[in-house]
Amino acid sequence: MYQTHKTYIKPSMRMSKLINENPTLLLMMEYFEIDYAVGDKTIERLCAENNVNMSVFLVISNLYNGFYPNAAEVSVDDLAVSPIINFLKNTHNFYKKDKYPEIQNYIQQLYQHQDKEDIAQIERFFNEYFDEVIEHLNYEDEVAFPYFCQLLKSNPDITQSKFSVREYREHHTDIETKLSDLKMLLLKHVSLKDDFTLRRRVLYSLFELERDLNIHSTIEEMVLLPLVDEIEKHKIDEHR
Amino acid sequence: MSIDRLSIAIVEPSSIVWEGLSNLLLKSQHHFAVCRFGSVDELQRFASKRQFHLVIVNPALIQNRECEFFRIRKGLPDMVWGAFVYSLFDSELLARFDFVISLTDSVESIVDKLSSFHAESVHDANSSDGLTEREAEVLVLLTKGYSNKEIADKLNISVHTVISHRKNIVEKTDIKSLPGLTIYAISKKLICLDS
Repeated sequence: MYQTHKTYIKPSMRMSKLINENPTLLLMMEYFEIDYAVGDKTIERLCAENNVNMSVFLVISNLYNGFYPNAAEVSVDDLAVSPIINFLKNTHNFYKKDKYPEIQNYIQQLYQHQDKEDIAQIERFFNEYFDEVIEHLNYEDEVAFPYFCQLLKSNPDITQSKFSVREYREHHTDIETKLSDLKMLLLKHVSLKDDFTLRRRVLYSLFELERDLNIHSTIEEMVLLPLVDEIEKHKIDEHR
Repeated sequence: MSIDRLSIAIVEPSSIVWEGLSNLLLKSQHHFAVCRFGSVDELQRFASKRQFHLVIVNPALIQNRECEFFRIRKGLPDMVWGAFVYSLFDSELLARFDFVISLTDSVESIVDKLSSFHAESVHDANSSDGLTEREAEVLVLLTKGYSNKEIADKLNISVHTVISHRKNIVEKTDIKSLPGLTIYAISKKLICLDS
């Protein structure tokens, strides 16, 4: 059988059923700070009870289900900016405190049964990459996101600001290439022996992280950026 | 080159046609990866995120927007563009495409036509991912920090050739970053740590 059908998530659907179909939605709920114990609640009710902006929830959950947003769906309003930033901050926390350390830990464990030189190479590659990721995430948390929040104020003083949405767009660095390289090195090139369980865990982790990073950058590029771009233009016009 | 899947973008408004076409392609003896787009603009927006070998477009979406189509095509020079035809179109419009397939064509002939654009590459999937001697030389110099120009001078080849070797190295190994390629070179014993 070949099934092309993915579920396009709508407000009246029951969350538990959707999680059953796509368990990666659990991670997304963690980012939204919604408890997993959803009972029989619909998306609509779940969002209302947890004070989650439903249009943002729908765009993001559909991304997790494999639907890239089109222009009409992205046209969420200004109110969506803080929830999206909040969501992204939670993803950053997860990467920094959970996912990357987990992979780092697995690589450490690989030393036990593998060629020390090979693993030392991999470890160095990973550590350098991890540093780049931290720098990227901190820059967003400390520079970009505060600027976007500033834009939302009724009379933001942005004419003095050296930072801009354009600046952010230009410096939006790619943190996915090296992750993919690491994955391909372990999968195809560096010859590792035995340790099936551990190697599978490393690869699963890398795949999971890769998918989540991809969704994360799609949210930034296709949802957040067009939105703050619009707001910034509006505020600059107001200032004139 | 070893790509084991020909990736195809289908720009088709009808779900019935899309489902039918993608199902037949995926079940054929060749390996295809298929994505659907609602419009050529949508495809263009994704072009930076994902590369396609072939694009199959319903010409109705292009009609009266030829100039725009031409511009988009120019911006995506690596793709081969085909028309999927199930009603009457002006032959001038169809001449703008690299190939034309029709609803009444047999599945075999459609599959053959599509795979003909990357014939060697798709059949090549079983050959090793090993680099040629020249590619290995280029890789070693790259890991030592030489620029394209320096490598060209050292090996007595043009910069253009160096770039094309680099492209092949990335395609064969699936590794894009220089640090990643260095580990590849070490693991294949092309270089050793002390050098």
